[in-house]
Amino acid sequence: MLRTIRAELIPPLDPVAFREGARNMGPPALAIGAWGVATGVALVAGGLTIPLALVMTFSVFAGSAQLAVLPLLAAGAPLPVVWVTAALVNLRFVIFAAASRSFFAGLPWKQRLFSSYLNGDVGFALFMQRYGDATERGNPEQWGFFYGGASLNWVSWQASSVLGILLGGLAPTEWGLGLAAVLALVAVLIPMVVRLPAVLGVVVAGSLAVATVRVPLRLGLLMSVLAGVTVAVIAETKLPVREATRTRGRISFLRRTGVVVPPGEEIGS
Amino acid sequence: MSESMRSWSHMLLAFAGLGMTTVLTRGSFFMLPASLRLPPLVERALRYAPACALAAIVAPDVLTADGHLTIGWHSNELWAVLLAAAVFAKTRNMLLMMAVGMTLFTVLRLYT
Repeated sequence: MLRTIRAELIPPLDPVAFREGARNMGPPALAIGAWGVATGVALVAGGLTIPLALVMTFSVFAGSAQLAVLPLLAAGAPLPVVWVTAALVNLRFVIFAAASRSFFAGLPWKQRLFSSYLNGDVGFALFMQRYGDATERGNPEQWGFFYGGASLNWVSWQASSVLGILLGGLAPTEWGLGLAAVLALVAVLIPMVVRLPAVLGVVVAGSLAVATVRVPLRLGLLMSVLAGVTVAVIAETKLPVREATRTRGRISFLRRTGVVVPPGEEIGS
Repeated sequence: MSESMRSWSHMLLAFAGLGMTTVLTRGSFFMLPASLRLPPLVERALRYAPACALAAIVAPDVLTADGHLTIGWHSNELWAVLLAAAVFAKTRNMLLMMAVGMTLFTVLRLYT
């Protein structure tokens, strides 16, 4: 039974590459662990009960989105607004998918879907660092490397999230651990705003969100994001092209796509 | 905190939708026909959306309370976030930035 599920969902993997992928994920896995603990604590501090926080971490599996929607859920925002907000934060995965799909293109749809589900920030970055220049795309070695990293990523993320949730349940609310969620989001945000267009977009989105905070149903948030993105895109077209955006190669590719470098890990530098 | 956050049915529905956003965004181009490509303008917009969304969530959280601005010398949260952000920008160390931010927040809360 397990063997059938495995064959249905997971492409053939080269065991040597699997181990290499897992080893490569080792140092980032520590950072992911810290981030998972912080997220777990923040979920409970943000108002979720321990059982609900556990359900969330296993069903959603997207840390930044989980933290981002927490204040909305706490404020009783309508679910469509909650979902759109999460989708906005998750939009970076669409870029990852577009960039790495050629490695999985020949696989049956169930295997493609399952692989894509595991294609998170760090796994994607490490995979593209290793195979971004490969001419032959889609073989057991590449899938093995991908799954080695993705497995360790999933395990360290979920284990540390559970630990954080349980720890968060122990802390009294007056410690103000809710701030931990804000700090964690700031840590995700900072690596994204190294360039001027992004800085402008973030400033516009942030200020507008503050100005429209009394607009009902938190709809001001969505308007602010739209305005911020528009400003950033216009700024990018108007500003002179910088050297780094013109250089080709894996690392500049990772930077250009705005890969979220996990907190504490500077990939490619 | 709202009552809805204690309702299992409401939260399970919320999580189901959130899980769908994970599956749909990660799966997007893995599942779409290979002929479909990301137009450059759309790609650029997508690249900025997550940062803008995070800013639009964090800013009101830190700078307002109950729909009113709370910017000022007495905003413990603001000082904690600013210091933590500076620490993270300098060190890229997540645990350190959280420890520093929470410590400053706690010190300000207890002694001011």
